[in-house]
Amino acid sequence: MQEKKASIWPYLLIAPALIIVIAVVFIPVLQAILMSFQSYDLRRPNNIAFIGFENYIGLFNDKLFWKSLFRTFIWVGFGVGLQFIFGFVLALILNQSFRGRGIVRAVSLIPWVTPGVLIGLMWRWIYDGNYGVLNDILMRLHIINDNIPFLSKASTAFPSVILTIIWQGIPFFAIMILAGLQGISQDMYEAADIDGASKMQKLFRITIPSLKNTLFITVLLRIIWVANSVDVIFNMTEGGPSYSTQTLSVYIFNKGMAMDLGYASAMSLILTIILSAVAIPYLINKFRTEEE
Amino acid sequence: MKKVLAALLAGGLVLSTVGCGGSSKSEVVATPDQSAPVAAAEENKKEPVTIKHWYWADNTEYSAVMQDIVKKFNETNESGITVVAEEYPWDGGGYSNTLFSAAMGGGGPDTASWKLTSTPLFTANNLLANLDDYIANWDQKDDIDQNLYDIMKQAGGTENIHVMPWNTQILYVYYRPSMFEEVGIEVPKTYEEFLTACEKLTRDTDGDGKTDVYGFGMRGAKGGQEPWGSFIHGRGGNFEDMTSPESVAGMQDFIDLYQKGYVPPTAPTDGFNEIIANFKSGRTAMTIHHTGSSAGMIETFGEDVSAFPFPAGKGQWTSMGDTENVIFESCKNKDAAFEWVAYLATGEGQKIWCEATGNVPVSKTVQALDFYQNNKFMKASIEGMSYAGILPILDTTTEWISVTWPNTVGFALTGEMTAEETMKVLQEELYK
Repeated sequence: MQEKKASIWPYLLIAPALIIVIAVVFIPVLQAILMSFQSYDLRRPNNIAFIGFENYIGLFNDKLFWKSLFRTFIWVGFGVGLQFIFGFVLALILNQSFRGRGIVRAVSLIPWVTPGVLIGLMWRWIYDGNYGVLNDILMRLHIINDNIPFLSKASTAFPSVILTIIWQGIPFFAIMILAGLQGISQDMYEAADIDGASKMQKLFRITIPSLKNTLFITVLLRIIWVANSVDVIFNMTEGGPSYSTQTLSVYIFNKGMAMDLGYASAMSLILTIILSAVAIPYLINKFRTEEE
Repeated sequence: MKKVLAALLAGGLVLSTVGCGGSSKSEVVATPDQSAPVAAAEENKKEPVTIKHWYWADNTEYSAVMQDIVKKFNETNESGITVVAEEYPWDGGGYSNTLFSAAMGGGGPDTASWKLTSTPLFTANNLLANLDDYIANWDQKDDIDQNLYDIMKQAGGTENIHVMPWNTQILYVYYRPSMFEEVGIEVPKTYEEFLTACEKLTRDTDGDGKTDVYGFGMRGAKGGQEPWGSFIHGRGGNFEDMTSPESVAGMQDFIDLYQKGYVPPTAPTDGFNEIIANFKSGRTAMTIHHTGSSAGMIETFGEDVSAFPFPAGKGQWTSMGDTENVIFESCKNKDAAFEWVAYLATGEGQKIWCEATGNVPVSKTVQALDFYQNNKFMKASIEGMSYAGILPILDTTTEWISVTWPNTVGFALTGEMTAEETMKVLQEELYK
C-alpha cells in the first residue's frame, strides 16, 4: 500500500505542469496542424473549409517560400556559426585572469539582455544611409566616399541583419561556454603540461571534449531560436527591401498578420519538421547517454 | 519507449516555438445582435457607464490632447458616461492587427479609432456595430457631408455604415520656398513641372561632387503607396487597371526619380520618420505628407516651408487619409458609445482634436472656422479635396499595403523588375 502511494505521488506532482503545457503548447500546436489543412483565412471567414494538402501544394509552387527557406539556412548557418566562433573566443578570453574581468564579463552580456525589438531599432539607425553612425565612422576613416544605404539595398541588407543577430547572440555562447570552462578540472591541464602538451593540443584534447554537452545544447537551442527569430529582422527591414531579408519565420509572420492563418500554419509545420531534424537526433542521443 | 519520448519532447520543443495560434472558429462566426434594444438602453441612460476606447497618437502632444478631450467629455456629458482612453502605437498599421486580435479574443475595447482599410476584415467577422439607426436618428447628421457616409459604407463592403467619420488627411506637397528661389523655379502647376522640379532641386551645394539636396523625399516603405498613387494618376492611370499604359508610365516616372538620383538612395526603405527627418534636415526639398506634420514643420522652418496640392497631369489624384471611430458589436452600451464617437465627430472633441493635430475636420461647422480658412497647409488640403481618393478597399488591401507594395516597388526601384512587371504583380495581388 505504501509502495503504491509512493508511485502515484510523482504523477500527481507533475500533473499541474503537464496540464498547463498541454493547454498552452500542445492544444495550440494541434490547432495549427488542423489549420494547415484548411483555407483558414480570416479575411474570408465564410470560405473556411478543409482543403486537404492544398496549402502544402501552394507552398511547393510558391517561389517566395523557397527563397525564404533558402535564406533561413543562410541566416542560421552564418548567424549561429559566427556567434559560436566569436562566443567561444570571448569565453576563452573571459576565462583568463586579468584586471577588470568582472566589468568586462558584465558589459559583454549587454547585447543578450537587450530586447530584440530595441536591438532592431538601434541597428536600423546605426546602419541608416543618411544619418547612421556606421556610415559616419567609415567616412571619417576614409574607407568610403559616399554613404552606403545598408538596409535599402538588397545586396547589403541581408548581411547587415545577419551581423546584427551575430552581435546579439555572442554573449549567450560566451556565458554558456564560460560556465562549462569553469567546470573543467585544472588537474587535467596540469597533467597535460607535465606531458608537454601544446596550447592547441590542450584545446582540442581537453577543453573541447569536456565542453561537448554544453556546446551541443547551446548550438541546438540557438539554431531553433535564430531560425524562429522575427523581432530583429522585422524591426530592421520588415523582410524587405524586395523580400531580400525575408526568412521563413518573417514570411510566416507576414502571412499570419495578413490573417491567412492556414497558409502560415502550413509553413510553420514545414519549419517545425526541418528543426525537428536537428532536435530529435540530439535528444535521442541524450536519452541513450543517460540510459547508459 | 525512451526514443519515442525523446521524439515527442523534441517535437514539442520545436513546435512550441513555431506553432501558429489562432482564434477558435466559434469566435469567428459569432453572430452579432443587430437589433440592440435602444429603448432599454434609454432607460438606463443616467446609470454610470464606462466606455473603453482605443486610439493611437502620432506624438506625445497629440496623446495629451486626446486625454484632455476625454477629460472634458467625462466632465460635461450628462449621461453619466466615463470614457477610459487607452493608447496603442500605430506601428505602421500594426495597431489594426492588435485591435483585431483583441476583438477576436474577446478582450477588445467598446470603441476605437480607425482606418478604413481594416473595415472588410472586421465586418467579415461581424465585429463592428451597425450605425445606420444611430446616424439616421442623430440631430447632427447633416453636419457631415453625405459623400463621407457613402465612403464609409463602401469601405465595409456591406449595405450598412459601421464607421463613424472623424477627420481626414489630404496629402499635399511640402516644399522649401528658399530652395525654389535658389534654383529659380516656381511652384509646379502641372505634373510635368513637378518632375522637372525634382530634377532641378537635386543639387551638389558644396561642390564636392556628391548630392547634398535631393529634389524629392520618396517614401518606398509601407505607406508609400499613397504618394505613389499621385504619380500613377498623373499619367492618366488608375488603381482599377494598373497594367494600362498610363499606369505603367506613372510607375516608370517613380522608378526614374530613384534611378536618376533625384531622391535619397535610402528611398526603398524610407518610411514616415525618414521622409520627415530628411525634409527637416534639408536633405530633401519636397516631400508629401498631410497636415499632421505641419506643426513640426513650422517649428523647424518658421516661414521657410509651404505647401501646394499635387499638380494635375493627364489625371490628378491625391490620397485622402482617413481616421474614423467605430463601435464594437460586443459593446454593451452602444448608446453611450455613440454619444462619445458623435462628440468626436461634430462636437467639441472634433474642434479640439483637429486644431491640435492640423487634421481636416469632417464637421462643416468646424471647417468654417477662421483657423481653417487662414492656414496655408489646410488650404492645400482643402484644394486637394476635390480629387482626393482612397485605394480600393478590399480584403487584400492590408496585405497589399504592408507587404506586396513595398517589396514589389523595391524590386522596381533597384531595376530588378520593369515598370510593366511591377504593375502586373501589383494588379494581381490586389485583386486576387
